[in-house]
Amino acid sequence: MQTLDPQAMAHISEVSVSVELQTADMTLNIGPQHPSTHGVLRLVAKVDGERVSSVEPVIGYMHRGYEKLAEVRTYPQITALVNRIDWVSGFANEIPFVVAAERLMGLEVPERAQYIRLILTEMARISSHLIFMSSYPLEIGAATPLMHALRERERVLDLLESVTGGRFHPNFNRLGGVKPAAGAGAQTKKVVQDLPAGFLADTRAAMGKVRDICDDLEGLVTGNEIFQARTIGVGIMPADKAAAFGVSGPNLRASGPDYDLRKHADYLPYDRFDFEVPIGRNGDCFDRYRVRLEEIRQAASIIVQAVDSIPSGPLQAKVPKIIKVPEGEVYVRAENPKGEMGYHLVSDGGRMPYRLKVRSASFSNLSVLPWLLEGQLVPDLIAILGSLDFVLGDVDR
Amino acid sequence: MTTNQSEPGAGEGEDEVAVDSPTEDAIEEAGGAAEAAEGTEPTGPGEPDPIAELAQRFAEIVGAESWSADHGLAKIKVTNADWVSAVSTAHQNGMPFLSFLSAIDWSQTVAVGDPLSDENVEERYELIIRLSSLASDDAITLSTDLSKYHPSIDSLVPVLPGADWHEREAAEMFGIEFRGHPNPKKLYLPDAFEGYPLRKSFPLLSREVKPWPGMVDVEGMPESESGPSTENPEATDGAGVEEEGAGDADA
Repeated sequence: MQTLDPQAMAHISEVSVSVELQTADMTLNIGPQHPSTHGVLRLVAKVDGERVSSVEPVIGYMHRGYEKLAEVRTYPQITALVNRIDWVSGFANEIPFVVAAERLMGLEVPERAQYIRLILTEMARISSHLIFMSSYPLEIGAATPLMHALRERERVLDLLESVTGGRFHPNFNRLGGVKPAAGAGAQTKKVVQDLPAGFLADTRAAMGKVRDICDDLEGLVTGNEIFQARTIGVGIMPADKAAAFGVSGPNLRASGPDYDLRKHADYLPYDRFDFEVPIGRNGDCFDRYRVRLEEIRQAASIIVQAVDSIPSGPLQAKVPKIIKVPEGEVYVRAENPKGEMGYHLVSDGGRMPYRLKVRSASFSNLSVLPWLLEGQLVPDLIAILGSLDFVLGDVDR
Repeated sequence: MTTNQSEPGAGEGEDEVAVDSPTEDAIEEAGGAAEAAEGTEPTGPGEPDPIAELAQRFAEIVGAESWSADHGLAKIKVTNADWVSAVSTAHQNGMPFLSFLSAIDWSQTVAVGDPLSDENVEERYELIIRLSSLASDDAITLSTDLSKYHPSIDSLVPVLPGADWHEREAAEMFGIEFRGHPNPKKLYLPDAFEGYPLRKSFPLLSREVKPWPGMVDVEGMPESESGPSTENPEATDGAGVEEEGAGDADA
């Protein structure tokens, strides 16, 4: 073997550094059907070697035109529509819509109905976040958390189903309250049914299990070295950027702002419960994950508090048989699992909305993607994409 | 025949005016110098309304024509020329969060299924943007009116990059042109799509092909309207049956 001349080596290395390598940008097409895109999202990425130089998301594959459909449907029919916007938290989608219509009608919703709404909304949050807890580690390569998180999610869905009759699309809210629950013996329409027997006790027990799974996930995922290496310092989103793009919910709070509409908007009686709003410091993928994990614990705590203090009383305010919403314009926003969900409702006094603008969280959360992915490594692309926790139905509406 | 409005007939024109009238009043008021004192009028007398105070404060900050604060919605109306500067000013003065941008088509003259004729369509668009604070409960809606014939306005993207997708959506759905938008492509719709689906004049094809069974009830509405509308429980039976039917289908 020849001995290497150090001077010659230095020369070679200098040359290789100073020479501009001409590499053509490659266009990498991801999706529309890719497991990590949670639906049908297409990303057209220009990659320069291992770096992403630009990304253009192509959306609209699931555009169903809810805003137009809502203009030809009566208010009671629309709750069935809006369930399907973000299908992993269908119940939570209904809330801002019914509250918007109730606000225009001046309806007072009975306390008990409000508590039931609140409990089920938090259950929807837990179920949505547990989907994230199972799918996100999977995208990064850890398959085990999926089994555990989905098992516990099933418990929560069973509870939701026992009250509403639906796992994904409860369609349970009515203007002025909630539907009499489909508990045991709810076959005769005349009998007003309340929560199913044993619901409150079952909920308490299930929330204990939910807390346990959070502890398990801490060990399985949070402390996992590979997971940390893939997420810490990756996909950093500064708070001002996030706000200017309308990024909301856990994605925003992971960047620092202590902004939770459960504290800032008046749509359900959250002010009666004691809970923390978890926030992150760095705004990276890891913080987005941590914030969601902690939110599951907080949601479980809210549910237990609400179950302990739920008042008795009617489930439904008195509403006319034909629901007409008085003329007016209102915007009601709510803290959904994915972020701010709001409805800008314009009524002309009729039985159907004149205009219903749906502000969905995932749409804005995803719109920051081109900015967020620029200059990132290709392998990090999926890690960042997954950390935003979007649902394409919520993007496309 | 089919209609996407619940109130077919002659009353529609008046409805449109009624929706507008607070704004128009307010425009006249704001014409005077002391808009602060007079602006409170639309919100009603008595106790200080925090939403009204908020709307008034921001109307002064952005130099708005008028404002309103009904149903907890602080809405500030600006001129087309002020649109970009007003949004940018509000954005930098404690409203960093962009909630959404969208439009409303205020024309009610053509219902789904009516024959279309461009001259008859009195289209008028209102562009709205919602900004909120991240430190308090405050949130405002800025709005501006766009003309029927040339709905066109400067793009917000240079001052507020987050408006990108929202503007592309409003452009394809309402046919509003955003001047200076860096990427004015369709967002949801296929590139070859013709028409602007969220305009009131755009027919909903499925309703044309097969009228909604609930049509029967819509036809029955004018009778029930003679009474006090929202309080009247004894409206046509058919409509009541339909309501229950809808409930069953949902369950």
